[in-house]
Amino acid sequence: MAVFLQSMLSGILIGGVYALIGIGLTIIFGVMRVINFAHGDVLMIGMYMTYFLFTLLHIDPFVSIVVTIPLMFLFGAFLQKVFINRVLGALPQNQILLTIGMGLVMSNAVMLAFTSDYKILSTKYSSSSFNILGISISSPLLISFAITIIITVALYWFLYRTDTGQAIRATAQDRGAAQLMGINVKRMSIIAFGLGAALAGTAGALISPTYYIFPQVGSVFTLKAFVITVLGGMGSIVGATLGGVLIGIAESVGGVYFGSGWKDVIVFMVFLLVLLFKPSGLLGTSKD
Amino acid sequence: MRPFMHNMRGTSTLPVLLAVVAVAALFLLPNFVESTYALHIMILIFISIIMGSGWNILGGYTGQYSVGHAAYFGVGGYTTIILMQYRHIAPWYGVWAGILVAVAIALIIGTICFRLRGPYFVLASIAVAEIFRVTALNLKKLTNGAEGILITDIPPFKIGDVVITDFMSKVPFYYIGLVTLIIAIFATWMLQNSKLGYYFQAIREDQDAAHSLGINLTIYKNVALACSVVFTSLAGSLYGLYVGFIDPSTVLALDLSVQIVMTCIIGGIGTIFGPVIGAVVLVPFSEALRSNMIAQAIIDSGLVSENSGFGFFLKEQLSHAHVLIYGILLVVVILYMPDGILGFVRKLTSKRRKEAI
Amino acid sequence: MNKAIVALMLALMCIFPAVVTAEAVKLGFINSITGPEAPIGENLTNGVILAIEDLKEKGINVDLIKEDDTGKPEKSMAALEKLATRDKVVGIVGPYTSATSNADAKMAERYKVPLLIPAASKEEITRQNLQWTFRTSGTTGDYATILLEMASKLGQPKTLAILNENTDFGVSAANSAKAVAEKLGIKLVFEEAYSKGSPDYRSTLAQAKAAKPDLVFMVSYVADAILLMRQSREIGLSPMAFIGAGAGFSVSQFASEKEISHGIFSSTQWTEDVPWGNSKAWYQRYEKKFGKSPTYHAACAYESMMIMGQAASTVGGDREKLRQQLRTGKWNGILGEVSFTDYDGYQNQRKAQMLVEQVQNGKHETVWPSELSAKKPIWPFPGWTK
Repeated sequence: MAVFLQSMLSGILIGGVYALIGIGLTIIFGVMRVINFAHGDVLMIGMYMTYFLFTLLHIDPFVSIVVTIPLMFLFGAFLQKVFINRVLGALPQNQILLTIGMGLVMSNAVMLAFTSDYKILSTKYSSSSFNILGISISSPLLISFAITIIITVALYWFLYRTDTGQAIRATAQDRGAAQLMGINVKRMSIIAFGLGAALAGTAGALISPTYYIFPQVGSVFTLKAFVITVLGGMGSIVGATLGGVLIGIAESVGGVYFGSGWKDVIVFMVFLLVLLFKPSGLLGTSKD
Repeated sequence: MRPFMHNMRGTSTLPVLLAVVAVAALFLLPNFVESTYALHIMILIFISIIMGSGWNILGGYTGQYSVGHAAYFGVGGYTTIILMQYRHIAPWYGVWAGILVAVAIALIIGTICFRLRGPYFVLASIAVAEIFRVTALNLKKLTNGAEGILITDIPPFKIGDVVITDFMSKVPFYYIGLVTLIIAIFATWMLQNSKLGYYFQAIREDQDAAHSLGINLTIYKNVALACSVVFTSLAGSLYGLYVGFIDPSTVLALDLSVQIVMTCIIGGIGTIFGPVIGAVVLVPFSEALRSNMIAQAIIDSGLVSENSGFGFFLKEQLSHAHVLIYGILLVVVILYMPDGILGFVRKLTSKRRKEAI
Repeated sequence: MNKAIVALMLALMCIFPAVVTAEAVKLGFINSITGPEAPIGENLTNGVILAIEDLKEKGINVDLIKEDDTGKPEKSMAALEKLATRDKVVGIVGPYTSATSNADAKMAERYKVPLLIPAASKEEITRQNLQWTFRTSGTTGDYATILLEMASKLGQPKTLAILNENTDFGVSAANSAKAVAEKLGIKLVFEEAYSKGSPDYRSTLAQAKAAKPDLVFMVSYVADAILLMRQSREIGLSPMAFIGAGAGFSVSQFASEKEISHGIFSSTQWTEDVPWGNSKAWYQRYEKKFGKSPTYHAACAYESMMIMGQAASTVGGDREKLRQQLRTGKWNGILGEVSFTDYDGYQNQRKAQMLVEQVQNGKHETVWPSELSAKKPIWPFPGWTK
């Protein structure tokens, strides 16, 4: 029982970070209909940023997101403007290959610049935890979970309560119609990709104190982000939040009862089942 | 938007003649080339063409962009090698068993996944391939898990009176690869000009319209998948036998699925020779980058001294950068040649023709 | 632009590099320079750089051709193929990982080119009756044996939990540990092969804790080793001893994480404390040149290249003669006396003297066997610092 509760809890906490990655991808997909295979690599860039802010300027990872978010937003906007905008009308496999290529460029450029050494960001609280009823809770994970919730709420407010947010949502719903309504679709795409990148970068920053950083770290998260996004319904923010937590739990608890080697199979099985029986996702509105 | 979707009926005689000459030259090649390294690269190109042609049937002609074809590559390879290594069944039978198993699995997966469209299908195909990879890692009794299977011996191969025993040399694999690739290309050509091929292309152009014309989508998509998987699985078996080692991280990896798609896109999808051109460009290019031949050649040519700063950079750093260059190439090709090399060339020639008129 | 690149590339493919100075020994070196294995691969590269310097001092000029295998068997085989047939090297050092070494060993046999494997430890590699493959590295069996024997002498552990990464090296080391534990009468109570790179091992560790093992044996690369120990601390997994099989537990980055590394044992093939050769000076030279301390991988690669260079310098490009040299020769360097012999079903395998080091206050200290050690082991595990 203790094992079950323990794995349940750590699953939920790590799921918070997954959720942030998933939300980033879901916004990008919702607006552009482009599957971003470079999402994990964008997250990796965020991790390196956090790492250098910490080692060179001694800014705490959780504080540094104040810097990381705008920088990553600009980075994402740049990627959209220079690369993705050119392939918006292209065949889906071309879009996929483009983002794969961008991912390869990012991870290998980082490798050339900073070598492929593993970077470990050791804060005072990296391995600190406290006990409740015999279950240990990792303090850094708890903090990052709290930050995730704050960011999600803020994002929700932005998308539903501001004009720009509503324009982004309109673009996501129907690109053509949005354009007819006078919405600058290209600009919305740039903002959306910027947001997506900023969220991925934030996730990178939040996970840095408890994880490790190396140039190829992105691939671990790219696939997870897809699963989360589909699970929650492409384009649905609440869905992605829920999806992230669900995947966190499925991995953690599934690992205990089926062996940790099988946990990825469980995750992908769940993914396939959702795709087949509720392709709009758990919370998505039914749309092709 | 899709310039290559027209059919190429009525092939003129010149290309046919060229193809015959090329094939004849390829058959004679091992008699003149002593370098086994060159033959090695040729064999890798052949395998790459076979798997590219396989994917092309489903992705290029039928418009179902699977990014999970490593699953069938791996299943084919694993079946052949497991049968040979643990059950002592000669690979000439094992290859067929591999195809059977791969096609059977493909049909089950296809029936489930073909309900999905566009990006959802792409994601589902990736998920399926990942499930296979992790399963192969965990089924240690069957696949030997992460350690992979190392082939110890390939039994002799008899065709009539000819007995081939020497599988240590490249030559048998060269010819097996060459014959298989010719069959793959011929099959694509046949398919392109058949009724079945028209059905496939109709599905690619507009699924709903095809459906309303009475084409059963699920059945024909599955047929396309089955045709596609035959060659993918063959390529997998051939790869496993040739390399003599198989493990989940090489034959079932997402990298491989991507590489298959990339070969086709770089060449030009939905064309007979797209995969050929893609493979002929990509395989030597990535090998030249990996082994740093380009830097070495620049230094040897005397353009840059090895001891100069730039020479040192080329020699020491460029070898670290080969994947980076590969990535840049990919981005450039997609942005500037979205229809692959064949499409690019065709656009150029048609422009010139227009200018001439 | 693109056409130009393609044309240039094709033209370059036709040029065969030929310029070789007359007396230089032509050797190949295959390593994981890029890809996921690159962080440890870098140690091998650096070790080889030092070896080439030292060989030059001995009057042996090496024309070294480096190949990157990106950690993939088929790339590694292509590299070996190129070295053996196109570059016509007389001998090859490398590759790094177990999977690539296993594949390359077969190829070396095919092309009859001596292959000296510096750091891969999967047992089977030198157990296949191969005549052309030699190995400097000890085997996974050696790793497990020294650790469990030490544990049996220091305490009376009755139970063992194994956590290994689900890779070739991880699985081989876990299998060896199981075999050794059975011989010593230690019962296996928990075993899990995890897929590396996961941010969360807490549930697995909680399970391990519930099994109440005396010993926890882990096989992990650098970063996972740190993650596993951090999360063990969180969960409160505190057995009689944590023992790690080389790799991630023997790098200085791990030791520097004082909170979580104090008291952890790991087996290794070389430390700067050993009295072999000029190990201490070599360690300092490496640290000065590369700005980080060497792992045993670097030492093994260095020694392998030294052996290969010295042996090859006398044979005048004859591979068969080089093979004979390697079979019969004896070398003395920073790994102590090295010779390649047949024993216990191995061929051309160095009988490695393994060492156990323990992290004490942020530093690796050699603690076992006692005649080679600098400090006494801390036993049992002192518990987590609060």
